[in-house]
Amino acid sequence: MKQILLAIGIVIALLLPPRAHADVGAVIDGHILPGHAGFAAATGDLATAAARDCTPDALRPTYQAAFDAWMGVSHLRLGPVEEEGRALAIAFWPDTRGLVPRTLGRLIAAQDPVVTDPAGFAEVSVAGRGLFALERLLFDPDFAGYGPGDYTCALTRAIATDLARMAARIDTEWRDGFADTLRNAGAPGNPVYHGEKEGAQALFTALVTGLEFTADQRLDRPLGTFDRPRPNRAEARRAGRPLRNITLSLTALRDLAMHLANDDAPQTAAAFDRALETAAALDDPLLAGVADPQGRLRVEILQQHVRAARDAARAEIGPRLGVSAGFNALDGD
Amino acid sequence: MTTRRGFLASLLAAGSLPALSWADAGSPAYLAAAGEPGGGFALFGLGADGRDLFRIPLPARGHAAAAHPTRPEAVAFARRPGTYALVIDCVTGDVQTRLNAPEGHHFYGHGCFVHGGAVLVTPENRFQTGEGRLGLWARDEGYARIGDIPSGGMGPHDAQRLPGGDVMAIANGGIRTHPAHGRDKLNIDTMRPNLAYVHPTQGVLEVVELDPDLHKNSIRHLSLRGDGTVAFAMQWQGDVADPVPLLGLHRQGQGAPVLAQAPLAEQMAMQGYAGSVSFSGDGSEVAITSPRGGRVHRFAPDGAFIGAVRRGDVCGLAPAPGGYLASDGMGALVRVTRDAARPLAVAERAWDNHLVRLGSA
Repeated sequence: MKQILLAIGIVIALLLPPRAHADVGAVIDGHILPGHAGFAAATGDLATAAARDCTPDALRPTYQAAFDAWMGVSHLRLGPVEEEGRALAIAFWPDTRGLVPRTLGRLIAAQDPVVTDPAGFAEVSVAGRGLFALERLLFDPDFAGYGPGDYTCALTRAIATDLARMAARIDTEWRDGFADTLRNAGAPGNPVYHGEKEGAQALFTALVTGLEFTADQRLDRPLGTFDRPRPNRAEARRAGRPLRNITLSLTALRDLAMHLANDDAPQTAAAFDRALETAAALDDPLLAGVADPQGRLRVEILQQHVRAARDAARAEIGPRLGVSAGFNALDGD
Repeated sequence: MTTRRGFLASLLAAGSLPALSWADAGSPAYLAAAGEPGGGFALFGLGADGRDLFRIPLPARGHAAAAHPTRPEAVAFARRPGTYALVIDCVTGDVQTRLNAPEGHHFYGHGCFVHGGAVLVTPENRFQTGEGRLGLWARDEGYARIGDIPSGGMGPHDAQRLPGGDVMAIANGGIRTHPAHGRDKLNIDTMRPNLAYVHPTQGVLEVVELDPDLHKNSIRHLSLRGDGTVAFAMQWQGDVADPVPLLGLHRQGQGAPVLAQAPLAEQMAMQGYAGSVSFSGDGSEVAITSPRGGRVHRFAPDGAFIGAVRRGDVCGLAPAPGGYLASDGMGALVRVTRDAARPLAVAERAWDNHLVRLGSA
């Protein structure tokens, strides 16, 4: 009798969908918290370096390292990064209206004293803050000719300090609160996630949305149309990062996917690997090749592989977690 | 053969017999369509507390519904470019009548009642010419089609009756589509959306357009306040990264609309897309939802931004005491009040775009 009950128990367990929250815990501990700790550390280094020497040549290496660290978490559009407009204050891109150079130009023209007031600087327009404002100041010839005593140097320092402050806050808020909120989705009184599956849903949405951002923004913007390619629209091209951002984001999203699927999503893993191999073989760091037919074709193939990774994750990981991305978000009506 | 003019004239003389009311349907406060776990679709009647009061299967994905002002009767519309609408008896759950869009027309998923509930109005696409039409149906004659009139623009999506009469606000989205091309948008570069005020017999009374640089901002959904203020929600067809307003406020005969937006970072987070719009329960504020941005944005009636409430895949929005009721693709109904969002119910279903409040709420 006991054995029969045990057998029935096993059959029932096999029929039940896997417990989604176990995977959520793995993502938090193995992906999210280390990623945000890394971003906080890298931006801390950037602020320290800027305090020592805020001129472009001195600051570029730590800037690149901070941007690298951001690519490890930029897809995690949930929780603390959504507070106070932080996501855009860290990375204001795409900037379709040229607001970043305009905002910086205004601050510089006015020699706005806000740069000496960290609390006040947190109130500056998101277009005048973060990695893309720094990119202009460190790499754009219109801005990067400043010396250590110039206003622009103080502005650079203020932006670096502000970035480090935001990254530290995000890191702390994840560890001291939001990690538990996400872990305990569906628990009574949970302030954000009302249903048990909503934690897995939020992470799965981040995975799919992250892949779509790379395909539809990082790759599609420079691709433009066949008759009118737009290589100047590639992300962070002044800092030489268009392909690097794609590679780092794919690497981070693969890590998210594997944590979410407990390392058991072979089709998704293979699709990510194909996309990463294609990116590695591209040999076009600025995606400037979009302007000639052959180079363009290779960027389009990379875009197809990124979309294939998204489709694989949707088909393989979503159903296992019992979630899908965006019933209404995808509807468009 | 009933003619439109003859029928509308005869309404003036008509009386009505006592009949079943919404109380007989359990006094639902809201109607909402949903996708269900098995892949099917249904229309739900919900209590003010978010509980299911009835469930009526739908043949395909729904969109919104029009509730009769007094009789416990709702018309559920297919998602565009659907051609069916079901008149549902909300007491028995029976489909009383199935409306089919006339040859060469399709519905947009919304509709409203005028003439005290005697006439159903359905925004339609006459797709050979792309002309927006408002279909008229005689409720007391088994929903016989009695004609159609111009909507005042292309792509009429939502229609709502203004209080105290039969003038309707029409959201002419401006986008040309043709069923042969599915949901493809055929005229983005030349689209000209508008908010039109249309009377069933007097025709188009007023057309409100946006500035030319906002001509790609499709005016799509409406919410009306008791004083006749029209709130309209928009969907930007330009670059998704452009910070453009997604909410407008207007009153008939009062010039240019007020366009409302949040501070830059919040505005951009909406991703150029508002799914639903609603005044709050007491009309003291108005909000829009963005399922893509996972946000509800609250505004004062003068267009000033009040704040954001975050909720993934949130789309449906309707007035509720002290604020709003919102619904999302994860099956939650969330009560949004001044400083909190708290769940009323979570069900294994994906709530579709809209929550329709019934008069009794």
